[in-house]
Amino acid sequence: MSFLMQHLPILLIAIPLLMAPATILTKAYPGFQKALDIVASLVLLGLSGLLLSTVWDGGITVYEVGEFGKYGIVLVADLLSASMVVLSCLIGCMGLIYSYDYIESKSLNLTYHSLYNLMLAGINGIFLTGDIFNLFVFFEIMLLSSGALIVANETSTVTKISDKMEATMKYIVLNMLGSNVMLIAVASLYASIGSLNMADIALKVRILSEAGTMPWHIYAIGLLFIIVFGGKAAVFPLHYWLPDVHPTAPSPISAMLSGVIIKIGAYGILRILFVIFAPLKGVFGPIILVMALITVGLGATAAIGQTDVKRLLAYSSVSQIGYVFLGFGMGAIAYEAGEIAGAVLIIAASFVYLVNHALAKSMLFLTSGGIIHKAETRDMRKMGGMVDSSPVMAATFLVGAMSIGGVPPMGGFISKFMLFDAGLKSQFYLPIGIALVFAIFTLFYMFRGWILIFWGARDPQYGEYSHHGLSLLMVGPIVVLAVLVFILGIYAEPILGIANTIALQVMDPNPYIDAVLTRVIR
Amino acid sequence: MNNTLLALTISLLFGMGTFLILRRDIMKVIIGFGIVSHAVNLYIVASGVFSEGKVPILEHGEHVNQGLVYNDNLANLAAGIVGPTTTAPYTEFVDPLVQALVLTAIVIGLATTAFILTLAYRIYEEYGTTDVQELRRLWG
Repeated sequence: MSFLMQHLPILLIAIPLLMAPATILTKAYPGFQKALDIVASLVLLGLSGLLLSTVWDGGITVYEVGEFGKYGIVLVADLLSASMVVLSCLIGCMGLIYSYDYIESKSLNLTYHSLYNLMLAGINGIFLTGDIFNLFVFFEIMLLSSGALIVANETSTVTKISDKMEATMKYIVLNMLGSNVMLIAVASLYASIGSLNMADIALKVRILSEAGTMPWHIYAIGLLFIIVFGGKAAVFPLHYWLPDVHPTAPSPISAMLSGVIIKIGAYGILRILFVIFAPLKGVFGPIILVMALITVGLGATAAIGQTDVKRLLAYSSVSQIGYVFLGFGMGAIAYEAGEIAGAVLIIAASFVYLVNHALAKSMLFLTSGGIIHKAETRDMRKMGGMVDSSPVMAATFLVGAMSIGGVPPMGGFISKFMLFDAGLKSQFYLPIGIALVFAIFTLFYMFRGWILIFWGARDPQYGEYSHHGLSLLMVGPIVVLAVLVFILGIYAEPILGIANTIALQVMDPNPYIDAVLTRVIR
Repeated sequence: MNNTLLALTISLLFGMGTFLILRRDIMKVIIGFGIVSHAVNLYIVASGVFSEGKVPILEHGEHVNQGLVYNDNLANLAAGIVGPTTTAPYTEFVDPLVQALVLTAIVIGLATTAFILTLAYRIYEEYGTTDVQELRRLWG
């Protein structure tokens, strides 16, 4: 047990990394391979919960990988990292269970498992690492494996393989550009600060800013990081790849992409701009705020006209990630204006928004997989009246639509209410007004989608629905996520408490810096 | 003089790479990415410390430092001297860290290039063209 507790952070990366070759080696025994992977992902979920409780009780956990002293890589699990890891392990586990009946068996047996595990390892590594170059390495692991997963074959043939390749090309080219920009930023940071450890950089940037000798190019480096994480999170100028990539991916992968991978951008902004470049918040706050407002408006407006169910959900993701970034921008400006309590409230609200959107949107994408199976098309105009034949999907889609639209008693209501309330308390009347208008748009397009798919009757010219319903393995994850969305709506105290502590830690990086820097060479 | 030449080379490579990435042919885009990643690699190497040319390997039994992991002199930083520095007895070594970084970046670049080349070949099979403007089935 003490071994487990001592090596907890590295196990969350090492287990999926080990499972990647293990699932390739056992490909001759598909049943054993599936059982092995499902057990591993459940173990991973348990370990991530254990990590969260450890961090909640015992404060920030620092794990040294290797013994290279100052230049060694450290894994740092503070409350933000630990809760993001829980989120990724939860959605990853649910997506994996769902995939067993959704992905074509040949692709599933051959490469799907190992790529999926590599993606999980990359995501967990991004959340846990305390070294900025190591962050880049895990970015690339995640990028390549998710790019290969987007072209995985599904059992339904609604999405053509050529569409998937076109979308993947966009995804990979844009992200290669992003990773080159990130490398430039990391190298410039090393050249000016002389360190790659995030806590060390944070301390030194603070000393520079207090001494008033901050070189001008630190600002440029911060802007480069905004480009990198904005591109990952699909914020306004770099949002155009998302509506092509998320719909063409297989549904469990769409759930991972929309649920976790675009949240990496939000995590990066919190970690890099709020912790490392903390003295520069006043410069980056307005930029993030303006980009976020444009993203909110653009995503919501584009989602209204969509006829493709997965494209609707993808544009909705663009709009919702805009709300999360809106909170970051407002938080940075409020902090700079001296309203620390208001800023903490706003960042906490943003985090709650992030978690609620992740759960609801991944659940909606999983449900849309079932809808596509049944209707054998992605066009919502060719659907209708599905509520009679598949009431479970109708109910879960309604739960998701209510949560995204912000209708009580779902989790989305709590997060939207908290965000607007916190924004109004810090007197951001114009941004909250704009966000409120597009929140009504959100309500409209989500319920328009629900009505088109489940209400009324199907036009007879499109024929009968197929008998491919949801199998038990597909219903299970959807129902689990739907129940979680519901629980977060009616019993939100635990997540609010965690979010508040996270916001305090983000606003005051001193405990993080102290925990990493005051270590003795072994 | 050498620094100026290095900076010129890096900027030229960046320019060429950017020009190629903006072309319509997928192959030219991929070659452009190769050139840009080489420019980035040069940029990383240039960010290290090169005071003398000694190989950064310590004699047997030598230890760099003891005690706290981070014991940098922060007064230098407050005085406005930024950049990676080496402490007193080890000034003549080159910076080993940037070389490790470049090695990692090259390997990752290889993997991405291999993936994107395979993808480009499959796209050529499906669409019969390598013109990115023809890849428009997702438009609308």
